Amino acid sequence: MASIEFRNVIKRFGDVEVIPGLNLTIEHGEFVALLGPSGCGKSTSLFMLAGIYLPSGGELLFDGHLVNEVEARDRNVGIVFQSYALYPHMNVHDNILFPLRFKKTPREEALVRVKAAAELVHVGELLDRRPSELSGGQQQRVALARALVKEPQILLLDEPLSNLDATLRLTMRTEIKSLQKKLGVTTILVTHDQIEATTMADRVICMRGGGIEQVGTPDDLYLRPASLFIAGFIGSPPVNLIRGTAENGAVHVGATVFPSEGIRGDVTIGLRPEHLKFAGDGLRGRIAEIEPMGREILYVVDTDVGHVRVLEHGSAAAHSAGEAVHIDFSPTEALLFRTSNEKLIAGANVCPPRRAS
Amino acid sequence: MTTVPLTTSPVETDWAQLARRARWTNRARTSALYAFLIAVSIPIILPYFWLVTIAFSARTGIAETQVLWRSLLVLVPAIIACWVVAMVARNLRRMLAGFAVVAAITAVAFITLVGPSLHLGNFIFLVERDFASVVRSRVGEVRGATQFPSVWRAFWNSIVLAGSQTIIVVTVASLAGYYLSRFQFPGRAPMLRSLLVLHAFPVMTLIVPMFLMLYYIGLLDTLFGVILVLVAFELPFAIFIMKGFFDAVPWDIEMSALTDGASRRQAFVKVVLPQVTNGIIAVSVFSFIRGWEEYIFVFTFLIRNTNWTMSLYMFFVRDDVMGVDFGVVSAVGVFYLVPSLVLYAAAQRYLMQMSIGGVKG
Repeated sequence: MASIEFRNVIKRFGDVEVIPGLNLTIEHGEFVALLGPSGCGKSTSLFMLAGIYLPSGGELLFDGHLVNEVEARDRNVGIVFQSYALYPHMNVHDNILFPLRFKKTPREEALVRVKAAAELVHVGELLDRRPSELSGGQQQRVALARALVKEPQILLLDEPLSNLDATLRLTMRTEIKSLQKKLGVTTILVTHDQIEATTMADRVICMRGGGIEQVGTPDDLYLRPASLFIAGFIGSPPVNLIRGTAENGAVHVGATVFPSEGIRGDVTIGLRPEHLKFAGDGLRGRIAEIEPMGREILYVVDTDVGHVRVLEHGSAAAHSAGEAVHIDFSPTEALLFRTSNEKLIAGANVCPPRRAS
Repeated sequence: MTTVPLTTSPVETDWAQLARRARWTNRARTSALYAFLIAVSIPIILPYFWLVTIAFSARTGIAETQVLWRSLLVLVPAIIACWVVAMVARNLRRMLAGFAVVAAITAVAFITLVGPSLHLGNFIFLVERDFASVVRSRVGEVRGATQFPSVWRAFWNSIVLAGSQTIIVVTVASLAGYYLSRFQFPGRAPMLRSLLVLHAFPVMTLIVPMFLMLYYIGLLDTLFGVILVLVAFELPFAIFIMKGFFDAVPWDIEMSALTDGASRRQAFVKVVLPQVTNGIIAVSVFSFIRGWEEYIFVFTFLIRNTNWTMSLYMFFVRDDVMGVDFGVVSAVGVFYLVPSLVLYAAAQRYLMQMSIGGVKG
């Protein structure tokens, strides 16, 4: 177990600055997710932690000790790769044993620990198999056992679930999370999947273009996204964004008026589909498409301000295509962003348009 | 949505006739293809077949070709029968059964038609060092023959030459291929290009400077000198092939080994190298065969007959007794061929994969 600190860490590849200066602290035993689209620098940060990439500048500290130049093999970091990276020429037992071969662990003890690690992730019966004879989920478990067998101070997970099918992903999500709680090892998960990040981690670090966009609990990111980017990235189906101009106590989008106090200038309204509902009054529109999603139904509504997605609970559609509807929402759940810098305007309220009375 | 009515053709189609025509076209095409395959496979197989037949049947001083035509009478129908079996067999089981029948009939025919002429006399060179004189004396020639070393000496020299050349090529090519595949350094791209260019030079062009160089270094007329020259010519292509194999090894497992506590060297030896065993085997086999069949360099750079390799031995046998006894020449040829065949047969499984790993280079 260790705490991690990035102090103004820079990473360049040739002339390209991938990470311009990263500042971040991760506590003992914390489960943190690095979330962001591909190319945002999250894997680079992970590989710097593992010691595979050396930082081009700044300081990287484990438990307050500078580790910039410590070799990968001396860092005691366990890593699970997206491809699992099992050694194809060794069976499961030898794969899990591999890290212990370099630690001068007495043979007796090493064998016991391999057994224990394999049992921990439920691959105790597969020890004689080759990686090529395992399913994706089993390979994943073996990779996890191999990362854990050396009792690492930090566990790194690089997109660990992206190669699994949907059902297995759900199981492994729960298993990894409970395993992390049980072992209390500081864990960093890299993912581009917002659901993975918010369901597993205690804290989510949202990255973009090599920098940190927002750090917070999953709730923070969902309810109070710091920017348009995060609002668009977190939540599925994605947030509805409506651009308009705020003046005279209202946001004007074409002829549509959303009453809003105390704001001026160009703004973007963010409305989550699940926060919208059909009511007697509100934003007028006509249902264009109906997409049943099982437990929920997604309506695409054609309005004066463009297409708006509305998510309703229930398995049978209560409305039909072509029907005229009104969309209503609570002013506290609507998000308002400044269009120029894409930042959230804290404390601003937006109300749905009302019929002139 | 509006539906567009589909127009139906008023002309009645004669499906049965179309099917008949397709069947006939197919049959004609297949027959033409098999006729072509039979025609080209005979000249490919025939030289090897005759080489073996002559080695086991020819007698000193007798230019007897009848046995060759008799053996041809067995071989050609056998080849045609094999292709026909391959064409008509509906599954693998039947095809194998068909081949077995053809092989049995061929064997019986061979024993009756060619069998009586077979003997082992041509392999006299394996036991008799001065076989040339023995053979010549049979036809009354007693002029001094070439002083032959024992064939086993030449055999051993060839093994040493091909073997040590292979070991050096594989070791250097593995290390260099790995470095070229994994590391960035100034001049990497020009180096890769020049590797291929190096391979484009005809070796004959460098014979004279090489001779001088070996002479001044003092390695002329030594196996070691020839080994170094061969290694230099073999390496570029071997490095290129090994690089292709290393390129196909994912970075992940190497990174994983590093975080698992291995040093760069340990990761290479314990994790990366086992992934390219096929490449190593392929490069080994080709290097070995290349050294085994090497002729120009050994002919130019080796002088003493104790340094002869099998190719030189073969050359001088041909030079000395060809007019007298082509049976012995063929027998030496068969003896020379056996190690290559054994090696290919043993490594065939790995060689098949070489093109797969190699093209990625």
